[in-house]
This record gives sequence, C-alpha cells and structure tokens, in this order.
Amino acid sequence: MQADKSMLTFPRRDCFRRGFGGLLAGVPAAFQLSSARSADTEQRAAKACIFIWLDGGPSHYETFDPKPDAPPEVRGQFEAIETCLPGVHFSQHLRRLATIADKFSVVRSIRHNQGNHGAGNHYMMTGAPPRIPVGCGAFVSFHPSIGSVVAHERETTEPLPRYFSMPSMSRSGGPNFLGAKYAPFVVADDPNNARFHVRDIALPEFVNTERFVSRQKIRSGVDRLPRLNNLAAGDPATTGDAFYEKSYELVTSVEAQKAFDVHAEPTEIRDRYGRNSFGQRALLARRLVEANVPFVTLYEGGWDHHRNIFPALNDRLPSFDNTIATLLEDLETRGLLETTMLIVLGEFGRTPKINTRAGRDHWSNAMSVLFAGGKSPSGQIIGATDRQGYAAVERVLSPENFVATIYQKLGIDPAKIFHTPQGRPTHLVSDPTPIRELMG
Amino acid sequence: MPQTTRAYFLMLLLTSTWGFSTDITTQASESSGSFEIDVQPILTARGCNAGACHGKARGQNGFQLSLLGFDSDFDHAALTKHARGRRLFPADPEQSLLLLKASGRLPHGGGIRLPHDGPDYSLLKDWIANGAPRSIPDEPQLTNITVKPHQTTMKPSEQLPLSVTAFYSDGTSRNVAARSSFQSNEAAIVGVDPKGTMKAGTLPGEATIMVRYMSQIATCSVAIPVAEDVPAQLYADLPRNNVVDDLVWDKLQSLGLTPSEGIDDSKFMRRAYVDIIGRLPNPTEVREFLTDDHSQKRYTLVDSLLERPEYADHWANKWVDLLRPNPYRVGIKAVLNYDNWIRDSFRKNKPYDQFVRELLTAQGSTFRNGAVTLFRDRRSPEELTTLVSQLFLGVRLECARCHHHPFEKWGQTDFYSFAAYFSRVGRKGTGLSPPISGGEEIVMLAESGAVYHPISGDTMQPKPLFGTAAEVSADNDPRQALADWITEKKNPLFVQVMANRIWADLMGRGLVEPVDDLRATNPPSNAALLKTLGDHFRDENFNIKELIRLIATSYVYSLSSIANDNNVLDTLNYSRHYRRRLRAETLLDAVCDITAVPESFAGMPAGSRASQIWTHRTKSLFLDTFGRPDPNKDPPCERMEESTVTQALHLMNADGLNAKIISDDGWAVELANSNLSSDQIVEELYLAIYSRFPDSSERTLATDFFAQAGDKRKSFVEDLMWALINTPEFFLVD
Repeated sequence: MQADKSMLTFPRRDCFRRGFGGLLAGVPAAFQLSSARSADTEQRAAKACIFIWLDGGPSHYETFDPKPDAPPEVRGQFEAIETCLPGVHFSQHLRRLATIADKFSVVRSIRHNQGNHGAGNHYMMTGAPPRIPVGCGAFVSFHPSIGSVVAHERETTEPLPRYFSMPSMSRSGGPNFLGAKYAPFVVADDPNNARFHVRDIALPEFVNTERFVSRQKIRSGVDRLPRLNNLAAGDPATTGDAFYEKSYELVTSVEAQKAFDVHAEPTEIRDRYGRNSFGQRALLARRLVEANVPFVTLYEGGWDHHRNIFPALNDRLPSFDNTIATLLEDLETRGLLETTMLIVLGEFGRTPKINTRAGRDHWSNAMSVLFAGGKSPSGQIIGATDRQGYAAVERVLSPENFVATIYQKLGIDPAKIFHTPQGRPTHLVSDPTPIRELMG
Repeated sequence: MPQTTRAYFLMLLLTSTWGFSTDITTQASESSGSFEIDVQPILTARGCNAGACHGKARGQNGFQLSLLGFDSDFDHAALTKHARGRRLFPADPEQSLLLLKASGRLPHGGGIRLPHDGPDYSLLKDWIANGAPRSIPDEPQLTNITVKPHQTTMKPSEQLPLSVTAFYSDGTSRNVAARSSFQSNEAAIVGVDPKGTMKAGTLPGEATIMVRYMSQIATCSVAIPVAEDVPAQLYADLPRNNVVDDLVWDKLQSLGLTPSEGIDDSKFMRRAYVDIIGRLPNPTEVREFLTDDHSQKRYTLVDSLLERPEYADHWANKWVDLLRPNPYRVGIKAVLNYDNWIRDSFRKNKPYDQFVRELLTAQGSTFRNGAVTLFRDRRSPEELTTLVSQLFLGVRLECARCHHHPFEKWGQTDFYSFAAYFSRVGRKGTGLSPPISGGEEIVMLAESGAVYHPISGDTMQPKPLFGTAAEVSADNDPRQALADWITEKKNPLFVQVMANRIWADLMGRGLVEPVDDLRATNPPSNAALLKTLGDHFRDENFNIKELIRLIATSYVYSLSSIANDNNVLDTLNYSRHYRRRLRAETLLDAVCDITAVPESFAGMPAGSRASQIWTHRTKSLFLDTFGRPDPNKDPPCERMEESTVTQALHLMNADGLNAKIISDDGWAVELANSNLSSDQIVEELYLAIYSRFPDSSERTLATDFFAQAGDKRKSFVEDLMWALINTPEFFLVD
C-alpha cells in the first residue's frame, strides 16, 4: 500500500512556466484579466453577483425613497432630487446614482416582519425567516446563505474560492448544513492599505520564490505517510493531497493572484472608486468577478443610525454614492454588467418618525433595494411605499421573492430541495416566485 | 460519508417516491373500498403526501396531506371537506379535481401520478362514487407488516426480491410490496429498486433495507461476505486483549475480512495522546516511551494519560460543543459558569449518570450553578425535549414535534408527553436580553404549568418514551422522575449512545452514525459490540475513563490504518484504523507546542490552550478554519470534521502560523542557534511533529538538505518545520 511518492515529484508543475516568477516579481499593471474567463455555454442571465450589504439597515428615506411631501418629522432634513427618470426622486446625496438611475432598478416594496438585526440579516441573507426568535445582536444561522448556496451549486475546478466575503463574514452569511466547504473566503485585509495582501492565498512576506520552491522540495521529501489509493477507502490523507494541490495551484496561479492585485489598477480607476476601504473593496469585487468568482459580499457596517442620522449620512452617503455609481459604470464599460448582478441593501429600512435623538430606528415594513445587471430590466421603480413611507403598499414583495430572484437569475432553481445531514428535506426558498419585473 | 448516504437515503424516501409511478401491478380486485386500507396507500405510494409535495407543512398549492399519510382523519378531511369540498365530486367521480389533476387532465405541478387507465385510478374513482367514506363497516386496522427475508446473506451482484405482508386486525393479510417503499442505508453495498428487488453490489459489506408501508416499518439486514475463504484458524490466532477484540474479530470473521497489522509503539503513543488528552507527546516523552522496554508499557501509558490534567479539557471540549450556548444570547456569566461546570465534571470524572442527573434537575441561580444555564438557554419544554432526547437517548424526536417521525414509531403524542416533564420549569429574575443578556436567572419548580397537544389541545401527562417511570406527584419536580428514568440501569439507550460517542472519538467512526441517532432503521455496524460497551459502561458505574481504558487497551485500537488487500474497502467494521484530521483545538495547541510560541486568546489568561477556551466566540482564524462549531448555530453543533482547501492554504501560508515558525522566541530559531548537529535537529523535529525518530534515509535526506542550505541554517530549520507541519503525518492521527 506504500504509495509511489518518489522524492521531489511535487511540485509537479514548473512554477516558472506558469508565470510564478512573474507573479512575485510584480506583474505589469495593464495585465488584462479577460482571458481568465472561461467559456460558459450554459444559458443563464447572470454568472455572478456582487452583494453589497449595508449592515444596520439604511434609511429608505435618505436613500432611494424620499418623501418630500411628508411632514418634517418624517421627511427629515434632506431634500429630494430629480433623477434622470421622469418623476422619480432620490434623496439628495445620491447625486451620481440619480444621473444614472436608468442603469438600475430600485425595489421599494420588500417588507418583512423581522425588526431586529439578527433576524433581519438572516431573513434577507438566506430567504428564510429565523426559526426561533432571535435577538438584535445575534449572529444566527438556520439556513444556508445565498453565497454559500451559489458556492455549492457553482462548484468548479477553478482555483479561486467561489464565495468571498469582505472584510468579514456577514451575520448570516454562513453555509449552515451545506458544510464548511461552502463558507465564504473572508478577505479581512484592507485593499486601501499599501501593504494589502490576501491572507493565506498570498505567500508570507518573507517567503520569496526561491524559498517557496525550497519549501516545496523539502515537503515532498519528508512526506512519506503511505496513502490508501483506493478512493472508496476514504483516506483523509488522499483528500488532503487534492486540497494541497489545489492550494498550490491557487498560490501559483497568475490569474488568481492577479485578481487580488487592486494595486495594479490604474491610479485613475482607483481614485474613481474612492480611496477608502469600501471603495477599494468594491474595486476588488469587480476584479474577483472578472476572474470568474460567482459571489462576492461586501459587508459594510455602521448603518444603524439610531441617533444623529443626518450628520452621519452627510458624511457617509456622498462617498457611498460615488463608489456604487463607479462600480456600476465600470461593470457596464467592461461588459460585465450583462452577466453580473449588483445588489445593494440592508436588513430593513428605518422608522418614519425621527426619534428624540435625531435618529431613526429599525423598520422592516419598508426598505429600498438597488438591483442592477444580469439582464435585469433597468430604470424601474418597483413597488411603492405609502405617501409617508410607513409601509410597502404597492406590489408588496417578500424576502423570499427577493432571494428567489437572485437564484433564478443565476440559473439555480429556487424551488430546489436540499437535504440536511439529518435527511430533512428543506426548500431552498419556501416561496420560489421571483420578482418578475427584474427577470427580463 | 455516512451522513451523505443517509441524506441520500432520506431524499429518495421523501421526495422521490415518485419513482413508483409505473408498474404497480396492484391487487385492485382486493379493494374493500376503505380509505385507510386502500386509498391512503395509493397516495403514499404515488408520492402525493411526500415531504416535497402535499405532505409538507404548508401543503402544495393549498392542498395539504399529512406527511406520508400518518394522520388519516386529516387526510380524509383534506380530500372531502377542505377547499369547500371541491376536490371530490361523487355525482361524477371523474370530474373530481383529485382525479383530473393526478391523471394530468388538468395541469398538475407534480405531473401524471395516476394514469387514467390504471388500476389505482379506478380504485379511487370507485371510492369517490361510493361517497368517499372515511371508513367501512367493521373496518380492520393495519397492525403490522413483515418483510421476507428479514435477514440474509447475498453474493456480490446477486439479486433477491423482498416480499412484504401487511397484517390486519381481522386476521387477514395482504401482499403490499407494490405499495411499499424501500430504501437501503448503504446503497453501494446492497441497493434496492422501487419494486423491492435487492441488488448486491460488487463490494463486501452489510446493509439494512428499510421497508415502509403506511405507518409501519420493517427492516431486512443483508451481509455480503468477502468472496475468498479465510481459514477460521486465522481468527483464532488473532491477539485478544479484551472483549472488544472478541467481538470485532467475530464480526470480521462473519464477513471474511482480515484485520490490518498492529502498529509500532510510536504510532500507538501518538494515537493515545491525541485521543485521550488532545495533545502530541513532546520529544522527551517520545524518547522515554520508545526506550522503555517494559512489556506492559502501553497499558501504563493509557492509565497515566487518563490521569493527566489535559484529559478534562479535551473531553469537556467535546461536551461544550453539545451544550454550551452563545454568550451573546445567554450572557457571559451564565455561559462561563456552564463551561466551568462541564469542565469540572470531567476533572472529577463524575459518573456519567450523575452528570446527566445534575444537569436535568438543575435549579437555582445561573450565577451559582452552571448547570442551570441549560434551562436559561432552552426555554420551552419542546426545545428541551429535542435536546435531551437526542443527547442522552440518541433519539431524534424533533420530527415528531410537527408530524409523525418518518422512520420511527414516534408521534406527536410521544413528543408532547415527554415534553410534559419540563412543564413545571419555573424561572424568575432577568430573562434573555441579547446581545448582553447579563442578568441573573433563577430556575425552580413552578407551582403549575402544562404542555398541550398541538392538535387535540389535551393537557399532556408526563410519560417516558418507553418502559415505565415513577409517577409524578404535585409536590415533586417532574424532571426528577425523568432524570431517574433516563439514567436507570435498565435503559439501554442511555449507556449505548454515550458508549457510541466514546467509541467514535477513539476509533474514528461511531458504531452508529450519526452518533446520536439510534433507531432500528439505522442499526449499529456491530450490535453485539455496542451492547457490550454499553453494559460495561453501566456495570462500571458510568465511569467514562474506564470505558476509554477498555477501548484504548484493546488490540483493535492498535490496528494499523494501512489496509491489506482484503480490507481496503472496509470503512465500517474496524478491520483497520480510520484516520482522522486532528480536531481544531488539538491542532492549534500542537502548533503552539511545536513552535514554542503560545497563542493569546481574548478573555483567557496568558498561557491558556485552545482546548480551554470557554466560548467559540473567542476570535481565532485558525480554529474557525479548522472547523470548530459556528458559535451562531444552536448547540448541539456540527463540528466540521472534513478537510478543506482553506485549511491547506492556512497551514501553508497563514501569517500567524508562519510568524510562530520564524519567531525569534520560537523553537526553530532556538534549534538553529544551538550547538546541535544537523542530524540532532532533524531528530528533534521529527520527535516533536511526527512523534517518532526519523529513519536512516530520512536522516540522510534532511542532513543533505542541511548541507545544501549552507549558511542558511536558520531558514532551513524553519522550512523543515514548515514542511513537516504541512504533511498529513502531522495533521492526521494515523
């Protein structure tokens, strides 16, 4: 049963032929990734999704659903501005998005019944309401997240992980019963940092090419544990080899490493996205999608404005508006928007009445969701809240409809049934009806 | 992948009973016109009431049936009364919605279930024409079913039909194979087709075929022995240290499997350290053990490991996965106390029955008695029922909360009768208020309290799942009677589920998998062994260490993981040892020990080990990567035992791990700066990482590398350490 592991056979590939030396020496900045895209013969509307999660619940009033005619305690301090769509208004800080409102749709009528962060996160991130009451600070998981399901359904031999989450895993962004393999790959490091590198995928700084090669040589020399080569024997050493090989491939793959190299982008592009963590992460998300990653979550905290909402949003919204508009335009310019969904949302909207601390509280009766790309008809405002923004009243939609739309567009049947390790059949989405206006 | 198999098994059962759609050569002529005896079996056989269709909790398109037809009254009402009775039309039966849809004459999401010209169609038509009666005069009840054969052996690739007979209260019986469903728990060994024909695969092994007809379940167990003849003398000559060996050899003999060789002392030592105390031996310990020439040294080693302080943290670590909730939800102090109570129980080697009794009857303040936190965390009788039955009896009652268990005898009455034992758990003080939940809560016996049946609304009386338990009087805490019943010596499930857990921890696979799912349709791979282990555990007064000792000193425990030609495919019967990855905490502690650079954990004193962490919330990228339970999921948590690419990447490149390797305060640098020769350094590293001496070719190889490294002695030592850590001989227990 001794496997024939003759010494020094691994690494089997010639690093230099694969351009590994070039990688560590620094690759020309203008390197284009389009060659990395494999021909995808399957007919589906979207191949990828960039999911921008504004944790805490952004106010619908101050973003996509202003109510200029409401009384001041509801209307708030911001003005409504015109968009390029006749009769459609956004709140004042979304200036760039207003000029390109024809490039995306806004759903104003998703509502649900989970008014705390833990539960709201879970509902919108998985399409399933939490099974038991959960608290506000909770990070709960009862059902696989959209990203994990996509990773599960879009497994490929490509080296890059299928599901990324930056800079941390979102609250209910885990795989639940699908298993650790489908957890998001978290990139915690800040791409706005000059020393940005991606944990575990980039070599440690002190390991140069020469040392890496030497390490591999030593490793293949000392690795002598006999393997059970019959797959049915279930030997974890054998599966470990497959994973090691895949890791090696990822570390040495020019395309994969290139995807992370936001610093290789022209300065002008980096500036347009915004020289801040969120802006540069959005840029990184675009690069990952270019490298065929199907699901990327940007998890942005700090939208829970219980107090002093207006100064906070005065600071935050302009750069947010800039980054999202840039990302949208950039995806379009590169021809990626056709196959890439861009979705921006939080777990709920915020209370109509401004509270005594000049903030707004949690409100799941109304929220706004930006939805673009993947051949979704754009320039639409789907559904409406009432005159004062208390609740979605026209074309009322559920988180299930929303999540089903994403699956459907990615070619994943939302009515599909998964089985937990205990064998319990579980509907991917209990109501698999997508939002037809977005289906195209 | 037992879980995958099981998932597949259930999937077929619950969703693809659609596979019955053709070729039911039914005995339509036998029809008595009864709803229960004739109509419902058709609905079940055709998949109408499957979990994916009308049997799911909300039904399908407004039409709901009870899951797999367990509730005849409900199903009859669904057909005849719900939706204003429009589903049946006795005046012109063929115009009934039921038949129009099922035969595909009106659009039906589930497709054609009842061909228009088939016998099932006419049976239903006749029943409707007859006024769709709920029952017929003197209707007999289905009492049980039998399957033949019940137990058999087959040859590879052989086929064998099963026959299923249903027996009724009036003494009649019928052949119901055509309307039964069949599933194999090991389809690769013995598959079964929808008509009930078993088909042996090409591999030796065992499988159980489950047969279900209406609410009745029967099983057929099949063994496929290895084709070659193994002489009986081979088994007679095998070493036998204790009863474990006898029972494993018996099993192997019955299957014609031959065991692997025994392992050498270094492998035994590494295995015992990892399994019993969750750490690797250090070089000094390895040297001492390997040079000790005492003949009983393996026994002595096991005994001494059981007395090591690391024992308690290692074994408590398994139980905190099962019990310890998220402090964000339950509060830091309550969780910390709970964690302490669990660890303390293992430190004292508290008899397992006492551990469970203390837990189930805990009362007082969450600030004073850690065990009380169970009742702070699980607040309803239903939640407690699910947890307690699964953990301590290996009975998954969760299904029966909402519907009859699909492969078991448990129904809602069983579930809520059990739940009634928790009907008088009283609480005062501050309840949950996440994300802090810092308040103190007192658990005590409430004056009153009741659990109601969700359908009938009846007040449930406490009743055990089987056997008898002490009556509960008004002055007594019902939990006391429950704890007594669960832990009583004649309860086989209580000891077997724990014995199975411990066996799985030491042997790499449970006799039953999942380890806490004991039922007739999921039989142990070696029933005699499970029974003996449970009995032994009980007879030794529920002494956990004693059970570990029995298993670890068996000869079977010391079998090699390397297969021979005969047993490479055996993944169930312990003819060889099954390799596993070190669990997350063991692995991180090993890395810290090897590099001599400890990890610092938030909220833990300096020098704490990963196995001592009091909550999975403590940040650690390493532990997350290696699959410790997600703190956001409810316990009992699935720990991710499998390997992933991210784990390989982490060992390869993680900043934290690499920083430890090259740390100026670390062991690699210390070795490099020492006066040790290159050969001595190689030896030290092999002892620390592989728990063995390098052989001569390994010494030559490594010292050659050393020579090539020239003045880069330090970086070579670091790289050799890195390389050893990145091989399976390190991260697996072999």
